[in-house]
Amino acid sequence: MVKSPITGGGVRLRINGSEHLLQIEPRVTLLDALREYVHLNGTKKGCDQGQCGACTVHVDGRRVLACLTLASQVEGLAITTIEGLAVNGSLHPVQEAFIRHDAFQCGYCTSGQIMSAVGCIDEGRTESDTTVREYMSGNLCRCGAYPHIVAAVRDAAQAMDSGEGRSR
Amino acid sequence: MAVPNSESLKSNGTYLGRRIARSDGVAKVTGRADYALEHDLAGTVHAVIVESTVPSGRIGNIDLAAARTMPGVLRILTHADALPLKSCPMVPAGSVMESFLPLQDDRIRYNGQPIALVVADSFDHATEAAGRVRIDYKTELAVADIDDPTATLIDVPGAPSSGLARGDAKGALAAAAVRMDVVYTTPREYSCPMEPLGAIAAWGNDGGLTVWMPSQWAEGARRAFSDWFAIPMNKVRVVSPFVGGGFGVKVTAHADSLLAAMAAREMRRPVKLALSRPQNFTGNGLRPAIRQKLTLGASEDGKLQVLIHENTSETSVDDDYVEGGAATARVMYAVPNLSSTQKLVRVSSFTPSWKRAPGEAIGAYALESAMDELAYKLKLDPIELRLRNYASQDPESAKPWSSRRLREAYEAGARAFGWERRSPEPRSMRDGRELIGWGMAGGAFPNVHTPGEARVTIAADGSIEVASSGADIGGGTYTILAQTAADALGVPFEQVRVRLGDTSLPRAPVAGVSQIANLLTGAVDKTARAAREELLTLASSHAGSPFKAKRVNDFTIKDGKIAPTDGSAEAVMISELMRMVGRDRIEVTRNTMPAEKASSEAEQRDAYDSFKYMGPPSSTHATYAWCAQFVEVRVDEDYGTVRVRRMVGAFDCGRLYNPKLAESQWKGGMIMGMGEALLEAIHIDRRYARITNNNLADYVVPVNADVPDIEVISVGEPDFHASALGGKTVGEIGVVGAAAAIANAVFHATGKRVRDLPITMEKLM
Repeated sequence: MVKSPITGGGVRLRINGSEHLLQIEPRVTLLDALREYVHLNGTKKGCDQGQCGACTVHVDGRRVLACLTLASQVEGLAITTIEGLAVNGSLHPVQEAFIRHDAFQCGYCTSGQIMSAVGCIDEGRTESDTTVREYMSGNLCRCGAYPHIVAAVRDAAQAMDSGEGRSR
Repeated sequence: MAVPNSESLKSNGTYLGRRIARSDGVAKVTGRADYALEHDLAGTVHAVIVESTVPSGRIGNIDLAAARTMPGVLRILTHADALPLKSCPMVPAGSVMESFLPLQDDRIRYNGQPIALVVADSFDHATEAAGRVRIDYKTELAVADIDDPTATLIDVPGAPSSGLARGDAKGALAAAAVRMDVVYTTPREYSCPMEPLGAIAAWGNDGGLTVWMPSQWAEGARRAFSDWFAIPMNKVRVVSPFVGGGFGVKVTAHADSLLAAMAAREMRRPVKLALSRPQNFTGNGLRPAIRQKLTLGASEDGKLQVLIHENTSETSVDDDYVEGGAATARVMYAVPNLSSTQKLVRVSSFTPSWKRAPGEAIGAYALESAMDELAYKLKLDPIELRLRNYASQDPESAKPWSSRRLREAYEAGARAFGWERRSPEPRSMRDGRELIGWGMAGGAFPNVHTPGEARVTIAADGSIEVASSGADIGGGTYTILAQTAADALGVPFEQVRVRLGDTSLPRAPVAGVSQIANLLTGAVDKTARAAREELLTLASSHAGSPFKAKRVNDFTIKDGKIAPTDGSAEAVMISELMRMVGRDRIEVTRNTMPAEKASSEAEQRDAYDSFKYMGPPSSTHATYAWCAQFVEVRVDEDYGTVRVRRMVGAFDCGRLYNPKLAESQWKGGMIMGMGEALLEAIHIDRRYARITNNNLADYVVPVNADVPDIEVISVGEPDFHASALGGKTVGEIGVVGAAAAIANAVFHATGKRVRDLPITMEKLM
């Protein structure tokens, strides 16, 4: 078995506020780094080619697809995954709204939907159902929870707007 | 007309029947739900499948030299040295489970067939090496699809919907005043659950195999591994606590989990095999392309005299998979004369498997489109035509319906939709450049029953554990079983913990055919009542009990407190009583096998590991769920683009155990039906019989922006012929009729009848 090259000194990732030094090859995606090396499995692999949105995470506050991002590209940046959204055991308003509106069934797209929803709200794209539908369309849901996702996003946006919620 | 509000039904308990949020909700929104491929085992290595790139022929030379020298490669398995496997006859070959076993011979059956397996120390290394396996083929002619000129029609002797008939279809057709025959075609469609298939497999030193895999039927998968590797059932454990969508493709184990287990055995360490999204298209989860010819004969006043359903569908090289389309036609209307026939076309494909509402979804599309066409021919309102042919009993068996609130569904749906404002002429409603179309359709889905087991444990602290190997594929099994146990025992919902999806737990049948909610609520209710009885026996007879009452019936349990019903003593917490009588637990296991079979282990095995016991829940009544769906579409006249503007579905699914969750499933089904109507189709490169759109960008499923407001209405009442606790099937009925309602709306908008799904813009221009 031939040894493969790894990045000199490894890749240093800041995930949910914690530093991780990973001995991984340059080709490892952020998604595989999270799931296979850091064992943060909340970020899902639905297609591994940027088509489904299940792997959506935040990098420096913006929603990105972890499967289309190399881990080494985001060294030193603040990475937030679904595991980092709840603070001190208290759910983020979007997480609460997803439960309240039953905005998921099987739950596999849910991490990505929620990370995308937080991004959508941060971007201010919640003024109407139509806007939310458009800006949440990068996240597929085969169970068909879409109407409830829209309701949850608008509800959470309102809660956060009225000061009940908190930003990320 | 009074439509019952499902939440106000008298049969509802403190929890059952109520809108309770999912008990696994927090786990799912925080990323903590442990899906099968997220089980981290020390020393796990990764396997990646090499697929054939030709559709038919023999494998020639396999050159592994380049692949073997790649970093991290540990082993490459091919048919030359892979472990010989035994076949698994648990269900008839082709009836949802393929007979194909990977790496057993040099024969190529389809493009995308697994022909080698690369095992490496990381996913990336295995993927790269898999790309460097060089294979020579001796190719043979392939049959690309149902329309391939070289394809031949074959009969299916003994197939479920083969040659069924009532009355004299031929004679009735000759005598009918109005006749119509139409052909509807539908393409290959994919289940596409968001969680891809895959498995982690590990063999223990005792020769036992554990497989973590997403499964709608862990017990069935266990049986498959037991058969394939010729090891006893008790040496196999399948773990599947959460399933990221199934829709049929995860009903049985397929080549991916089998290859993981083969490799793990070879490597003597855990192997993880995660199918890529493209491999999910080229290996599993296919509804075949289907051609349905419907011939209707009716009287001038719209009474159906005859219905002839001729179905042709694709199957694989190896198996006779039947996607019968006539199931709905046989029960929907009071048609005295009916025949249905089934033919197959063998194509160079893997064996199809179930996709949500197999048979019913596609059958209802054809039937309910044809009824719409007949309504126009007779100048009748589509609902009126349906009411004139309303079946007051099962036309197939002549048994009474256990419940059929389809008339109520038509009425409630029509009212909510505003159907009376519809102008019947096609192209008569518009809004600027947009043509408006209003369409409707009905649907049916049978109730089936299979026995199941459950275990209920009352712990010393008064908490309750419910355990079953059954699956929660998103329908809400975790939640409704907690509701069931909480009601049966009289404890708070939050006090009940449910464990599912693990064959080390009591056995359960498949979460398919929409049966699992009804079966397991029944099994858990029975078991929890037995546990309650045992608890109250202690309360009434144990020396340590503080109570004087001597009969179990003299007690009530409410909010987790036991008290004599006559108020003669203070209530005592369950945990207190457990302490007083010196018990650290009460554990009860029950099953819902017929009493005369319950003691036979062989019968039990058949019940949980095959389809032998799957059948109608009632011998005296015909039991179905029913629906009526209403759709508004907007069609851009210039571009032919169709947008669904709103949908209304009215459902008779009996008693709803949790309306919040049932509504989610109905809406999800309707959205899947929208995909079938407007978006989804597999495209095949006929030169190579290869699927070209093997990914989620090119195989187009509905996205958020495609989906409008959807209103769902329950018109059901408890039906105790259908299930122990009065529910009927919920999970699949939403998809039944949705595509027809959309297609009918498109006709109403445009005056153009497209009989080939999906209805894409070029077909309307």
